[in-house]
Parts: sequence; structure tokens; C-alpha cells
Amino acid sequence: MKLLKKSFVLLGLTVVPLLLSGTRIQAEEIKKAKTIAELVAMYDSSSCHECHPEAHEQWQKSLHARSIFGPENTGRTAATFKTTIENGLKEWPYSGVKKNEDIGVRHLRLCSKCHLPQLEEAEDSVAQEIVKNVYAFVDEGDEKAKKTLQSLNIDCLICHGRNAIVHKWTDGTPQKDAVYGTTDGKHDDPDRPLIKQSKIMKESILCGQCHGMGPNFELENPTQCATLYAGHLLTYIPEGGGETCQNCHMEKSGLGHNMQSYRSKEMTNMALDVEVEAKAYQWRDGTIMTPAATVIVDIKNKAGHPIPDG
Amino acid sequence: MVLDVTAKTTDGKEFYRNQVIYMPTPQQMGRGDKMGRGPYEKSGMIHDSSLPPLRTTQEKFEIPVYVESTKDGKTVRTIIANDFVVDVEISYLPYGKKEDPGNNQKWVSISKKLSIEKGGK
Ligand code: HEC
Ligand code: HEC
Ligand code: HEC
Ligand code: HEC
Ligand code: HEC
Repeated sequence: MKLLKKSFVLLGLTVVPLLLSGTRIQAEEIKKAKTIAELVAMYDSSSCHECHPEAHEQWQKSLHARSIFGPENTGRTAATFKTTIENGLKEWPYSGVKKNEDIGVRHLRLCSKCHLPQLEEAEDSVAQEIVKNVYAFVDEGDEKAKKTLQSLNIDCLICHGRNAIVHKWTDGTPQKDAVYGTTDGKHDDPDRPLIKQSKIMKESILCGQCHGMGPNFELENPTQCATLYAGHLLTYIPEGGGETCQNCHMEKSGLGHNMQSYRSKEMTNMALDVEVEAKAYQWRDGTIMTPAATVIVDIKNKAGHPIPDG
Repeated sequence: MVLDVTAKTTDGKEFYRNQVIYMPTPQQMGRGDKMGRGPYEKSGMIHDSSLPPLRTTQEKFEIPVYVESTKDGKTVRTIIANDFVVDVEISYLPYGKKEDPGNNQKWVSISKKLSIEKGGK
């Protein structure tokens, strides 16, 4: 009972369990986060980090660990959030945004859909706080803002919890007392004593849900960023490709949770086969000799999608 | 992705340069002929030259190794060098300019030494 109670009262956030004819229904009403700190606490993965140091160290190096900040040295994602506000939201006549104070979750959803899906469980005050930190970092290079932005990310509890189930009518809503892996079992973590099987943990769709199909039509003003999953489905599969995202990015690369691309040798070594044929010769037109060379370059893309992604 | 092909004489003088760019070009707001600036205004594609998976993309380059002039009303082609080097480079350039620090990632670099026979007629 103690364990059960703990899983319902998650870090001060009230989770109301519905009890119907003895069956616990998964539709739990979650109180939304009012601050960045509360949202971070809702998906706090620091306990996971302690027991799974290897996954943690690998993940820490990946862009998932700074999913609204971007690469450590450039912070390009945060910078593009600002561009979105300045050149997008504020310029569009019907967005409802004239000044930063008008920005709510529905505006940031244009990006958070994939860069921070858990923002759906936050109130507009969190969107406001994110915007303030984006400007503080981009305009002033504020170190504290940088830290705050990096505290919002795609951590263990997104892939092994919140986003581990895509088909909610088929498979239910992720349980709060479980982590989702590849098999069912018991879990050493007192806060999440169960390991439940996610039917998609080893499938490309787990990654595909964020890696883009084209324009995001469900948004009020569709955006388009990554389109790689569409590329995977419509170009790699038709060519007979059979690997999953996980096979290449986690297993074959040996990088595990440090999912990488063009910045890492492990991935670029797997990317292309290149052959160059070059030949010099002279041809003639009557008495005029013409020295020339011909170069033929064959490039084979061995990845599971086009290179590069849009 | 950028494919650069250059030809240089053995003492480093470049006499040929060509470039092919591989990238998708997303459409601005799903209309017209302009590329969108950022993800907030991209919807659709107007052009796509990215490298498709499991396929081989072939590029051919014809490199002239001469300069042309006229002498006594006749066209003359003078050879630039009998020995020269062709460099083939493939780089990943996510944004901005190649010269920007930490931006350009060189993936492949292949050099071929070539020569053109002297003498004969
Ligand atoms: C007290 C230590 C401890 C904590 C805290 C902990 N784990 Fe685990 N976890 C384990 C151990 C031990 C295993 C191996 C269990 C087994 O395979 O029988 C495991 C297994 C797993 C698996 C693998 C399931 C599979 O597919 O085989 C996943 C995923 C996982 N943990 C995720 C998490 C996440 C996410 C968190 C944070 C919410 C977390 N763990 C916190 C100890 C812990
Ligand atoms: C469909 C999901 C999705 C949406 C919506 C989305 N992104 Fe992305 N974005 C991604 C993924 C996945 C990547 C990384 C993979 C890639 O580059 O293919 C990415 C990469 C980026 C990058 C490049 C980061 C780097 O590595 O330098 C920037 C910048 C960015 N997104 C900004 C935004 C902004 C701003 C918005 C909102 C206007 C947005 N994205 C909307 C999924 C999305
Ligand atoms: C972007 C999604 C994603 C994130 C974030 C993520 N994981 Fe995983 N994790 C996976 C996938 C997918 C697998 C299964 C790989 C396979 O078996 O093909 C996996 C497997 C595991 C396993 C079992 C296999 C192993 O590597 O030991 C553990 C334990 C685990 N993850 C823990 C964690 C922890 C702890 C974190 C946070 C530091 C984390 N994961 C973050 C996607 C993710
Ligand atoms: C919850 C959404 C989400 C899920 C699930 C997810 N990703 Fe990502 N991924 C992102 C975002 C967002 C970024 C880009 C972050 C940034 O730089 O702004 C990213 C970045 C990446 C990158 C680095 C791209 C680059 O530009 O270097 C790789 C590789 C990657 N993801 C692979 C995977 C794989 C493989 C899986 C499945 C095991 C996966 N992702 C699951 C959202 C997600
Ligand atoms: C057959 C192996 C393979 C498969 C399958 C695969 N990838 Fe990749 N991926 C690579 C290689 C190699 C690269 C490095 C080349 C590059 O950066 O473009 C890469 C690059 C990427 C990038 C960076 C794209 C860019 O713009 O350069 C992302 C993001 C990514 N993969 C995500 C995924 C996701 C998500 C899936 C599943 C839908 C997937 N990959 C399937 C091998 C694979």
C-alpha cells in the first residue's frame, strides 16, 4: 500500500486515481505544472540516473538531453525558438501574439510537440517562463537561463514512460508506477516497482513519433522541422531496407543512448560508401590537342533515410 | 551535404573547382517558390536533392586541363600541367558557411594523382 500511495502522490502533484468496479482505470487526471521546476519534477529522472549510470552518461551526450537548447556549443534550438517568436508568432496577424506576454502553450506547441512533448502537462505560466529564459540566454548569454533550458529535455521518463505507448486505445495510457522496457517484470525502483513491456520499444515508430512526417497538420499553424521518419518509411523501406532506428543508432553504432548523427565518427563511418574513378587523357580535334580529365564519383547512402534531413 | 571537386597543379595552383549540393528545400508556408526560413514557416518541399538511402548517386566531372587562346588567328590549347591532383571532398554543412568554426564536418577526402603524357603527336 505504501508503494501504491507513493506512486499516486508524485512530488506534491495530485494524481487522482479512478476506481471503477475494482479495476483501476488508467485515465488519471493530472494537475498541470505551473512552473518549470514543477514540470521538471513531474518527469524527474535523477533516480534512474543513479541506478543506470551507463545509460545516463550516454544520454547526457545526446541532443535529447538538451532538446529545447540544441548543441551545447551553439544553443541553436533555443535561438530558433526566439526566431519563431520574432519572425513568426509576432508577425502573423492572427496568432494572438503581439508581445512575449501573450505566448502560451498552444504557441510553443509548434515546436514542443517534438522538442518537449511534456509541455502538454503544463500551464501557460510555464510557456511564459520558457520564453523569458530563451531571451535571457539568446540575448545575454545568461548561464542560469542556459541551465534552466537544459533542465527541460527528453529524459528517461519520456521514452520509457510518457511516450512509450503511441496507440492508447490499443495499449492503454502509460502507468505511473512502471517503467516501460522490452519485457514485463519487477523493477528495483521503489517509485516504479514494475517493468512493463512497451510493444514499440524496439520499433522505429518509437523514434518516428518525434522525427517527423512532414507538415504537422494537427497544429493551428502547421510547422515542419524533421521529416526523417517520412523519409525512412517512403524511401528506405521501398528499397528493401530492414533495419530499425534502434538497430543502427543504438546497437550497430555501439553508442547506446548517445544517439548521434553527423557530429560523431561512429555514425559518419556508417553513412556513405564513396568511390572515385579518375582518368586523364587527350583528345584531338584535327591538330588541336585537348588535355582533360574525367572524374566519376559514386556515393551510396547506407543510412536508413535520406541524407541530410530537412 | 556538399561534394567539392578541385584540380590543382603539383605546386598547389587550383585550376578547376566544382560543387554539388545535396539537400531538401522546404517550401515557405506550403505555397509559392520560396524556401522557408525556419521550421515555423516550412510546410512542404519545393525541391529535394538529398541523397536517397540504399541508392548510389553518380556525379561526373569533365575537367579541362588547358587554357585556350588564339595565335595567328588559330585556336590553341595550352596544357596547364602534365601532373596534377584531383581532390574529392564530401562535407556535411548543417547551416551557415564552410568557414564558420565548428560548423563544417568533413566526411570524405580522396585525392587522385593524374598525369598527361608528354611528347608524341
Ligand atoms: C534502485 C535502482 C533502480 C532505479 C532507481 C531505477 N532502475 Fe531501472 N532497473 C534497475 C535494475 C536492477 C534493472 C534490471 C531489472 C531486470 O532486468 O530484471 C532495471 C531495468 C530497467 C529497464 C529495462 C527493462 C528491460 O527492457 O529489460 C528500464 C527501461 C529501466 N530500468 C528504466 C528505468 C527508469 C526510466 C528509471 C527512473 C524512473 C529507473 N529505471 C530507475 C534498477 C533501477
Ligand atoms: C515533428 C517534430 C518536430 C517539430 C514540430 C519541430 N521539431 Fe525541430 N527538430 C525535430 C527533430 C527530431 C530534430 C533533430 C533531428 C533532425 O535534425 O533531423 C529537430 C531539429 C531542430 C533544430 C536543429 C538543432 C541542431 O541540431 O542544431 C532546430 C534549430 C529546431 N529543430 C527548431 C525547431 C523549432 C524552433 C520548432 C518550432 C517552430 C521545431 N523545431 C519544431 C523535431 C521537430
Ligand atoms: C530517445 C528515447 C530514449 C531515452 C531518452 C532513453 N531511452 Fe532507454 N532505451 C530506449 C530504447 C529504444 C531502448 C531499447 C533498445 C533496444 O533494445 O533495441 C532502451 C533501452 C534501455 C534499457 C535496457 C537496455 C540497456 O541499455 O541496458 C535501459 C536500462 C534504459 N533504456 C534506461 C534508460 C535510462 C536510465 C534513460 C535516461 C538516462 C533512458 N533509458 C533514456 C530509448 C530511450
Ligand atoms: C519525444 C520526442 C523524441 C523521441 C521519442 C526521439 N527523439 Fe530523437 N530527437 C528529438 C529532438 C527534438 C531532437 C533534436 C534536439 C535539438 O537539437 O534541438 C532529437 C535528436 C536526435 C538525434 C540527433 C540529430 C542531430 O541533429 O544530431 C538523433 C540521432 C536522434 N534524435 C535519434 C533518435 C532515435 C534513434 C530515437 C528512438 C530510439 C529517437 N531519436 C527518439 C526528439 C525525439
Ligand atoms: C541503416 C542504418 C540507419 C537506420 C535504419 C536509421 N539511421 Fe539515422 N542515421 C544513420 C547514419 C549512418 C546517420 C549519419 C548520417 C547523417 O547524419 O545524415 C544517421 C543520421 C540520422 C539523423 C541526422 C539526420 C541528418 O540531418 O543528418 C537523425 C535525426 C537520425 N539518423 C534518426 C533516425 C531515426 C529516427 C531513424 C528511424 C526512423 C533512423 N535514424 C534510422 C543510420 C541509420
